[in-house]
Amino acid sequence: MKLVCDREQILGPLQAVIGVVERRQTMPILANVLLVAKNGRLSITATDLEVELVAATDVNVQQGGEITVPGRKLLDIVKALPDKVGVTLALDGDRMTVRAGKSRFTLTTLPATDFPVVDEINAQLKVDLDQSALRRLLDKTHFSMAQQDVRYYLNGMLLETDGKMLRTVATDGHRLALCEMELDSRSGAQQVIVPRKGVLELQRLIGDEGAVAVQVGSNHIRVELGDIRFTSKLIDGRFPEYGRVIPATPPRTVTADRDALRRALQRAAILSNEKYRGVRLALKPNLLTITAHNPEQEEAEEEVEVTYAGDEMEVGFNVNYLLDALSAVDGAEVEVGLTDSNSSCLVRAPGGGNAKYVVMPMRL
Amino acid sequence: MSAPRAILHVDMDAFYASVEMHDRPELRGLPVIVGGTSGRGVVAAASYEVRRYGVHSAMPVREALARCPHAVCVKPRMERYKEVSQSVFEVFHEFTPLVEGLSLDEAYLDVTGSRRLHGEPAVIAAAIKARIRERTGLTASVGAAHNKLLAKIASDLKKPDGLCTIAPDEVARVLDPLPIRRLHGIGPKTATRLEECGLHTLGQLRAAPDAVLWPLFGKHTQNVRDRAAGIDERPVEADWQEKQVSAEETFDVDLKRAADMHAELAKLADRVGVRLRAKELTASTVVVKIRRRDFATYTRSRSFAPATQDTGAVLKIARELLDGWLAEQPRAAVRLLGVGLASLAPAVQLDLFGQPAGDAPTPRSEATAAPAGLPPAAGRAGAKLDPTLDRIREKFGDASVTRASSLGRGGPKEDGFTGVRRRS
Repeated sequence: MKLVCDREQILGPLQAVIGVVERRQTMPILANVLLVAKNGRLSITATDLEVELVAATDVNVQQGGEITVPGRKLLDIVKALPDKVGVTLALDGDRMTVRAGKSRFTLTTLPATDFPVVDEINAQLKVDLDQSALRRLLDKTHFSMAQQDVRYYLNGMLLETDGKMLRTVATDGHRLALCEMELDSRSGAQQVIVPRKGVLELQRLIGDEGAVAVQVGSNHIRVELGDIRFTSKLIDGRFPEYGRVIPATPPRTVTADRDALRRALQRAAILSNEKYRGVRLALKPNLLTITAHNPEQEEAEEEVEVTYAGDEMEVGFNVNYLLDALSAVDGAEVEVGLTDSNSSCLVRAPGGGNAKYVVMPMRL
Repeated sequence: MSAPRAILHVDMDAFYASVEMHDRPELRGLPVIVGGTSGRGVVAAASYEVRRYGVHSAMPVREALARCPHAVCVKPRMERYKEVSQSVFEVFHEFTPLVEGLSLDEAYLDVTGSRRLHGEPAVIAAAIKARIRERTGLTASVGAAHNKLLAKIASDLKKPDGLCTIAPDEVARVLDPLPIRRLHGIGPKTATRLEECGLHTLGQLRAAPDAVLWPLFGKHTQNVRDRAAGIDERPVEADWQEKQVSAEETFDVDLKRAADMHAELAKLADRVGVRLRAKELTASTVVVKIRRRDFATYTRSRSFAPATQDTGAVLKIARELLDGWLAEQPRAAVRLLGVGLASLAPAVQLDLFGQPAGDAPTPRSEATAAPAGLPPAAGRAGAKLDPTLDRIREKFGDASVTRASSLGRGGPKEDGFTGVRRRS
């Protein structure tokens, strides 16, 4: 295998895939990236056995072939080379040499045949979307995914369609985020859970322009973004019935300036208990009072003018959950629907919108 | 039966006396009695030097001085002991949240779940002893075993400054030769009667036939035999699992006016509120206890939702309960009032799917031995007033600030302890 290219031609693809090259991998070959040179194209593949990323680029292939080399070392070398310098990669016995200007590096290799790759995912569902639309679905919900929860099916994001709408849902059991969009073309119904790591990698790769092709198989999801192909295993589990925990018509409705409410909560949060982050919301007609205190008995109180016509009530929340929802929801104004101090609240744009946030209270 | 637990019993050595000897080096090595200095009180604590003369706590000071005439009597300083106790309990909580305090100087710790982080029970016990000594300069005796009963016996075996472990296969060997009086719950009377039957050791007690034990213990016979065999399934009830937080006050002069009762009730509500918040608990039941001059005692309780930490909310309900009772007994003279808070729960994040975090809502995941952490005990008290009062009292003492409603009609007592005074 031998190929010649500019530094920039391989730097981008290497940076795109390096996120899944684990630093403390269980198999030595997972520290490597797979290089496949063929027909004027170089494809670079990285995997952690859960998420696989393939980035391709046009290069001058002088001799086709495939091999794996240490991924981070190759990236660090290419990154440190001068701009625009010509780079030659050549396999020499069981070593790979990297030449650029007056620099020369020799890297160890492992055989390409040992590198685990996902070939065919047997797609049962194919959807074409704008990158910005997919990005929105992920950005509006990802923060509610659980992390290392024993309920492993919460450590990811539900991606589902009923054929008409495409929807993402994430929940850690204390709060839930949902975002949906209408599909241009009808598809079959499907419901899968994309693992957390896959969601975060995908978010890193998606831009704001261009199209993406999403394919869902029984065990994998694959997303093609131009020269980059993302494949992730799916979580084999049953996502909770999220529909029954979204309050349909909460009896008490508070409408507030989203930014004013968010800033007030941010300030109050400074003096909330660092571990449990509890704040208390006290509602009176057209006035919301937020209070927080910490074990040092320091205290914060914020008053926020709101539109509220119901009776007085008090409810406690983890302030981080409220802030996450307020940061994600669209619009200058926000509507918070409440039932009582033991029931979930619904945060959304006034009158609806296609993103919903549900937060369970804290008993304070 | 469940997997073996790891329980520690930590007992500070001659706690009050040791604190005094630590604070006042000139007392070290002397026979010290902490207790009433007037000669009419009882011994609250005795140093090891004075115990040699047969002096023990709860003995009248006069008798103690008869046995050891050169003993030094020291007036108890409860505030100081509480302070040291707090440091000691802080050490406990660095090793496990499951701490069941028995008194200022004694606690059970369930360290079953701490072993992975902190090592074997004996290692944890040694670390606790070292840390207590480092922070307070005092020594503790620790017993380690797989239940409370054995841990308590173990801590007593090598006092002072002891560390004793009873392994499951050593139980009979250690317990059998011990005198029956070592078993908690066997008082002097029962012990004497058992000894009359020829039962002197726990081994003999354990093997005694029903014919001997049944007349003495009745239906508790099997329980006594179990305990003599070192069997004890009682869980360590962490302090936040307390059933009730309460305060009561017996009055010098019986109260007849509702206004005075309300004032006392406000003080009591304040006291329990402070303790509730200090423990980061919420309550959803208020209990009011009323004792009449003739010692007839009544309790009235009410549960409510949501749970609260707020003194104001507690007081409101307590008043209504008291008023309800007063309506039945308008002419009563009251010698004691008490306010209790029950249905206690840690402040907690509620779960969307109806189960606490760590439980699986579908049968697919059985991994419920979850690193779910502790229930979050946190958040803020009801009114902003409460934490402010807590803080002031922490700094300046319990009597530094008082609710106006606690003052009664007679105004504040000018006793030099009440921070609020009338201007003349």
